[in-house]
Amino acid sequence: MDFEALLSCVSTASCVVTQATGGLISGMLLFLVAAGLSLIFGTLKVTNFMHGSLYMLGAYFAYTVYNWTGSYAFAVIGAALGVAVFALIFERLFMSRVYCADVLMQLLVCYGFILILDDAVKIIWGAEFLSMGMPATFQRPPVVFAGGVLPVFYLFLIGITLLVALLLGLLITKTRMGKIVRAAAINPTMTSALGINTSLVFGGVFALGGLLAGLAGALAVPVRSLVSGMGFSILIESFIVTVIGGMGSVAGALVAALLIGLVRSFGTIGFPLFTEGIMFLFMTLVLIVKPSGLFGKER
Amino acid sequence: MTKTLSRDLIVAAMALAALAMLPLVFPGKHVSDFVIRLSAFAVFATSLNLLVGYGGMVSFGHGLFYGLGAYSFALLMQKAGVSIPVAWIATLVLSAVVATVIGAICIRLREIYFSFLTLAFQMLLYSLIIAWTSFTGGDQGLTGGIPRPSFLGIRLDDPQHLYLFCCVVMVGSLLLMRHLVQSPFGYTLRMIRDNPRRTEFLGIQVWRIRLLAFVVAGVFGSVGGMLISLFVSSAYPDFAYWTISGEAIFMILLGGMGVFLGPILGAAILLLLNDVVTRYTEHTALVLGIVILVFALGLRKGVLGTLNDWLRRRGMANVAKSGQAKAVARTG
Amino acid sequence: MLTIENLRKSFGGVNAMNGVSLRFDTGSLTAVIGPNGAGKTTFFNLITGAFKPDSGRVLLGDEDIAGLSAPEIVRRGVGRAFQIASIFPTLSVRESILCAINAHRHWHANWRHRFPLAAAQTAAEEALELVGLTSRANALSGNLSHGDQKLLDIALALALEPRVLLLDEPTAGMGTEERWQMIETVHQLWALKKMTLIFIEHDMDIVFKYAQTIRVLSYGTVLAEGTAEQVRRDPRVIEAYLGAHYKEQPA
Repeated sequence: MDFEALLSCVSTASCVVTQATGGLISGMLLFLVAAGLSLIFGTLKVTNFMHGSLYMLGAYFAYTVYNWTGSYAFAVIGAALGVAVFALIFERLFMSRVYCADVLMQLLVCYGFILILDDAVKIIWGAEFLSMGMPATFQRPPVVFAGGVLPVFYLFLIGITLLVALLLGLLITKTRMGKIVRAAAINPTMTSALGINTSLVFGGVFALGGLLAGLAGALAVPVRSLVSGMGFSILIESFIVTVIGGMGSVAGALVAALLIGLVRSFGTIGFPLFTEGIMFLFMTLVLIVKPSGLFGKER
Repeated sequence: MTKTLSRDLIVAAMALAALAMLPLVFPGKHVSDFVIRLSAFAVFATSLNLLVGYGGMVSFGHGLFYGLGAYSFALLMQKAGVSIPVAWIATLVLSAVVATVIGAICIRLREIYFSFLTLAFQMLLYSLIIAWTSFTGGDQGLTGGIPRPSFLGIRLDDPQHLYLFCCVVMVGSLLLMRHLVQSPFGYTLRMIRDNPRRTEFLGIQVWRIRLLAFVVAGVFGSVGGMLISLFVSSAYPDFAYWTISGEAIFMILLGGMGVFLGPILGAAILLLLNDVVTRYTEHTALVLGIVILVFALGLRKGVLGTLNDWLRRRGMANVAKSGQAKAVARTG
Repeated sequence: MLTIENLRKSFGGVNAMNGVSLRFDTGSLTAVIGPNGAGKTTFFNLITGAFKPDSGRVLLGDEDIAGLSAPEIVRRGVGRAFQIASIFPTLSVRESILCAINAHRHWHANWRHRFPLAAAQTAAEEALELVGLTSRANALSGNLSHGDQKLLDIALALALEPRVLLLDEPTAGMGTEERWQMIETVHQLWALKKMTLIFIEHDMDIVFKYAQTIRVLSYGTVLAEGTAEQVRRDPRVIEAYLGAHYKEQPA
């Protein structure tokens, strides 16, 4: 417990800005992953336990594409689409077989895949930590704000994530596709009887979730190092986010993710040993007081 | 003493005798090391099955108790200089307390939330272990070994004593868990697994039974951790990593969830598999992952479970009557 | 025995129960009827503690049990069987009954002895005899026919020796012959155990033949109550539920 360090940071504008932006980008990445997880759970009633691996794949795909093409834009798009396709294949060939089985089977299928992917990554890219560094486009002087330093890339990341969040929210609530997804979530049999191909819907939702996770991975590469197994901790945090925010709520995921990002960022200063603990404490409180989450609907 | 209790005792005695003679038939470290490792996992996986197979509570964070047991026991022996029985009992008490607190929080949730919250708590312990380098040795694990003062004439620094000790603890723990599972309490657990609502409408406070089961499972889980820490003479963060929980769930699936001896068989198969695979490749995770997929998508009921079904279909009434198979024939 | 006073419950904007007041005399055999959505199952749910009422009292004897949890209410002598048989699929019939008896006698948390407890076995055999499931005692509950599962459901409820037994559509999903057998079994059980029996039923022939009194629910309120004769002639009931042709049928 280091209250002094925390207090001294909070009282300095530059420290606040730096920590806050660090926390924000953590939160944004977390939001993207959690949103996909939440979407899949809300529609398919299935927890994609290997969602963190999709994030990891996105990161590695982006790293590779950037090294081939030198273009970060290609890297991001390539990673997002690549992971989306992978997620679709995974869903169609494996996950769909265990929809009707109990949670144990679903967890196991995902666990099997985590193991396979972790090792596959080690085989293809090696077991050492990899680092991409800042892409050429973003190697600009950072923005200075209230004495704090904001790398341009951070602003880009925050901006693009907010855009995605907005699009996602609109997609789900305003479009016909969104309505179909919601209908299939509530009553798949009926939706199917109405002539809608529910397998397509489920595959599509999984692919969308994968796209979001892959996007997050690609966006994380400039600011995080890559290693096999990097998906797992973000998976746990995503789950905490969806629990706190409320399963199936995009807004809830955003708020909760930002909260967690900030808590972690300031928490590492004040409670270096117990940062994780604060997150769990908060989640536990939410679960006790409002089990359906901050923005969740009562079941 | 009822018929089934005496039958279980006889089976246990026979198993213990067989295990005791094993090193005489197969001298050398390899077999006895395997049995000791098996003892840790068999107890751990069976304790998880109390929750998963009998109680319908899929905990994905049971590894918390494995790690807690290992670290608590090892640290007590290293730093507090107590005798082994004292450290043992203290660890059991600690596990019971931790299980009560965590259980009370997690029990209130259903299904996937329960699974994930238990996992989250396990990872909390893991991150604590990694971060608290000064106390736990961080990601290197505990260094310095575990002192083994003799107690009751047992010297755990002697490999033969250690081997027998682990066998006795394994058989004893399994016997206790078996008894619990076959008691009225065990059947109440099955009721809750099958239909919690109906159980409530029979006047039973379901949460209490669930919490009790959680605590018992946690305590036995930490026994597994203590055995492995004795074996490696240390405690490693891996013991609290989520993969321990995943492997335990797979052991249960592999051996057959609805059968008491299933997890033990699953543990044996998995350990063998690991040993064989490590000889040929370093990509054990890849192979394990593929095996898991094959089972999750194909052999759902595990080895004993599928065998059980096959026997039933063949209508082998004689086999069903004999003692050992009766345990197999029970679907839970 | 059971007095309901002004029971209210709404879910969101829907008033499922709108101030229902009813009395059930000790040892009576009452049928609760009404169109679908009238609130009959909700009524049962409120009495047995599956839901908490928004307001109102549920007096079991002298005690207000409204708002208590299901296990607490069950322990005070209210038994219930469900519309879709609620049983334990992986346990055998005998095991299920033994478990219910254990629950009744507070032996369910016993960890010292082996299951089945000797003391519970005689009671279990009797319970099986009562509902006629002795021949299928070793069958897995999940493998039973629909009708047998409903019998088991009732047997489970009976194992707790309730003073009041609530049966939610005991004959639902059965063929005509089976229906009459079931209700005859229920009637015999009622006469034997001398308990207060309330059952929800849609088959009017059964209702008019067996029920001492009838309560008609519609849209969460009591539409009518009385004997079979009174109810079948009640114009409101005819309009809401029975249809004209029942007025003319002989008893």
